[in-house]
Amino acid sequence: MARLQLDTLSKRYGDFYAAQDVSLDIADGEFLTLLGPSGCGKTTTLRMVAGFVEPTSGMIHIGEREVTELPPWRRNTGLVFQNYALFPHMSVAQNVGFGLEMRGVAKAQREPKILEALRLVRLEHLADRLPRQLSGGQQQRVALARALAFQPDVLLLDEPLSNLDAKLRQEVRLEIRNLQQRLGITTVMVTHDQEEALTMADRLVVMAEGRIQQVGTQRDLYERPATPFVAGFVGRSTFLRGRMKADVLVLESGLSVRCGRRLVGDAVLALRPERVTLTAEPPAGFDNVFIGEVEIVSYMGGLTDVHVRISPSDRIIAQIANGEGVRLPEVGNRVHVAWSSNAAIFAVPREKQPEAVH
Amino acid sequence: MDTSSQLRSGTVISASSLIGPATILVALGVIVPLLFLLRYSFNEYDPRLLMVEAFTPANYVDFFTDPYFLGAFFTTVRISVVCTLACILLGFPLAYVLARTQSRFKNLMIIAVVIPLFVGNAVRAAGWMTLLGSQGFLSVTLMDLGITSTMTEIMFSETAVVIGIIAVNLPYMVLTLQSVLESVNRNLEEAAFSLGAPPLTMFRRVLWPLSMPGIAAGTILTFILAMNAYATPVLLGGPEFRMLAPLVYGQFQMNNWPLAAAIAFVLMATTLLLTVVASLVTRQGFRN
Repeated sequence: MARLQLDTLSKRYGDFYAAQDVSLDIADGEFLTLLGPSGCGKTTTLRMVAGFVEPTSGMIHIGEREVTELPPWRRNTGLVFQNYALFPHMSVAQNVGFGLEMRGVAKAQREPKILEALRLVRLEHLADRLPRQLSGGQQQRVALARALAFQPDVLLLDEPLSNLDAKLRQEVRLEIRNLQQRLGITTVMVTHDQEEALTMADRLVVMAEGRIQQVGTQRDLYERPATPFVAGFVGRSTFLRGRMKADVLVLESGLSVRCGRRLVGDAVLALRPERVTLTAEPPAGFDNVFIGEVEIVSYMGGLTDVHVRISPSDRIIAQIANGEGVRLPEVGNRVHVAWSSNAAIFAVPREKQPEAVH
Repeated sequence: MDTSSQLRSGTVISASSLIGPATILVALGVIVPLLFLLRYSFNEYDPRLLMVEAFTPANYVDFFTDPYFLGAFFTTVRISVVCTLACILLGFPLAYVLARTQSRFKNLMIIAVVIPLFVGNAVRAAGWMTLLGSQGFLSVTLMDLGITSTMTEIMFSETAVVIGIIAVNLPYMVLTLQSVLESVNRNLEEAAFSLGAPPLTMFRRVLWPLSMPGIAAGTILTFILAMNAYATPVLLGGPEFRMLAPLVYGQFQMNNWPLAAAIAFVLMATTLLLTVVASLVTRQGFRN
């Protein structure tokens, strides 16, 4: 177990940066998740830590050791793959014991450690099975036990839940998180699933186009996204584009939106659907109130999404918590859409930024 | 129930119609002549009357007591074993590169491996002659470079035959291994590395055992081909060189059908036996 430091790590293929200036300081025992769409550089970063991709520049430290130049077999990192990657010709016990065997641990000393690792994932009764005789969830737990059995300094998880079905995913997710906290092992996970990222990590790193967009806790990313990309990728947002005049954003449609801060030039406003209030009568106490027409009402059990058009070019999504006595608007209704300038509004300078898919 | 049984009988009919023609062809073209040949091998040979009806093991006894035939027998087995081992050693790295390459020229590379098979036996042998003969490219080059002072004669020797058979058999080994190696996920190698295995250990513990089915199939294929090689030993080995397949044909030419049949069956039985041994050995290796 150790601290993991990445110092301005870059990987370039020709003119293309798969990862650029990635710097991270991961504390001993911390669970850090790299989140981003495919091709954002998260997997490249993880593979540089594991030793499978040689960085073009930058440094990697595990604890006090500089490992940038070390081959994978000398890094002491535990790696869990999306497709489990269990050795099909070895029993569960042989798989779990492989790392210990490579470290020269005698057979007699290996056995209790193998059982201990299997006990961590509650599979000690399957030690003699072959991987193909196990379910997907069991295989992934064996892979986890294999990556932990030799007490690596760092645990690396490469989309470990993507091959599991939804119900199993929940289960293994909790299991990994509990285990990580109990063992206090420094962990880096890669995922494109934000729900997974939000529930498992101490800190999240959002990446896009090879670069770190923002590092922070779940709450930091959601409430204070640093870029429009983060605002769109973590949670949902309605984006309004325009030009700043003091603390007012003038949209292309001519509407003026009060923002909590002063900016100059073009800007993008990200609006969280659940922070938008929807009323039939004009509400009091909001900085921004617009009248619009309901275009779409989609009921989703606990919540309802209402899409309201406030100008020919601007549509706001508002989210209503369903409950007793809550009346839902109907398509075609005229409603008031309101939000306060400090509630959930982030004005960000509009640069050449990657666009989130949403 | 009705529809399912209908469906099933329909499947049976179409399946038998699919395998039928090939089965009939094999039965008539291979099994029937083989049975005839088996019967011939117990007949007697008379220089004047040629084949005489009999039931005697004399031909087999002759074969295993005559140093001439025994020599050909051991040469054949030795060359087949050497060629097959060489094909594994040379073929594995090539197959590995082909299986793992991301190059867009991958198909071209595979065609390049197969190209030797496009060339007929006689043409290929002519090529080897110009390369390996005493006036050939290799000999002349070695002399011109001052590495050797006398002519190097590789042609018409066991070495030439071994080289020739390896060149023919290698593509079969490479293609068989390549398809098996492609089914071994790259992540398995990476998993072994990350668990602390250096490349050689990874190879010994993961890649080699997992490619065993390919090794077994490739070994059987190239071994059978080598045991039964005809054109290469005749063209590259010269008149003094003896392997079993040319020997069988030689006896037929001399009208000694009973002995030719007996040699053919010895060749077949040896090939089958060694193939079974090889597949048992490789399966054992896979289990460990």
